[in-house]
Amino acid sequence: MRSWWVRLRRHDPERNAAEYVSGELPRRAIRWFETHLLDCEDCWREVLLGRLGRAAAEDAREPVPRGLRDRVRASVQMTGGAGGEER
Amino acid sequence: MTNDQDSFLRATMGAMDLVYNLSRRLVRSREEAEDLAQDTYLAAFRARTERRRPQRVEPWLATICLNLARSRYRSRSRRPREVALEEGAAVVGEEDPEGAALASLDRDALHLAMWSLPEEQRVAITLVDLAGLSTAEAARVMGTPRGTVLSRLHRGRRALAGLLGSAVQEVGR
Repeated sequence: MRSWWVRLRRHDPERNAAEYVSGELPRRAIRWFETHLLDCEDCWREVLLGRLGRAAAEDAREPVPRGLRDRVRASVQMTGGAGGEER
Repeated sequence: MTNDQDSFLRATMGAMDLVYNLSRRLVRSREEAEDLAQDTYLAAFRARTERRRPQRVEPWLATICLNLARSRYRSRSRRPREVALEEGAAVVGEEDPEGAALASLDRDALHLAMWSLPEEQRVAITLVDLAGLSTAEAARVMGTPRGTVLSRLHRGRRALAGLLGSAVQEVGR
């Protein structure tokens, strides 16, 4: 039996929701889980909260500050090549 | 610029967004985060020229960044002020509750909310939801089993959703 099938059948709403929201369930497992969601209040709630939290996390992304790329480039150029010794 | 430097920068500069955003969640100030990002690249360059080259640069840089933060920056970082999160707040009665809530929260508020999470949850969320690593990759970076990462990830998301739920309720008033 596939490991994902064993995990889903154990009914661990937190873990199942985490894998589902992360997009890490195989296609067949997704079909099974989405059918299960219609009847399972616990899993439905965890998936809803997981999606909301993921959306918030994605929205917290910050742009790289202007100048940081140049600063990093310059610092790498100041560092020695092969052998990695800082000059 | 040497060929070595050029090839390193070509291979890794695309991951700057990951390194900076991870740094922002490991140290408190923007200045410290920029320093940490720069130090990560320097450490990676030295490691790359001395040892074998990684297949995927994102998890490799994330590991270096995390280790540097733990070894050199942790003592400087103070625990932030706790922000109360209503865990599991109900979200009903909105056509687009995510959009409405997110629109009402500026990035600083979200950043503060991220800092209210325990470090392991904050790092798991940053690696998976912000940086796009798989949970298996995040587990290797964090040196923990994948199941632990899934648990930290979900609890962190749930806590952030609690904040979002509060915001939705505020918007609805």
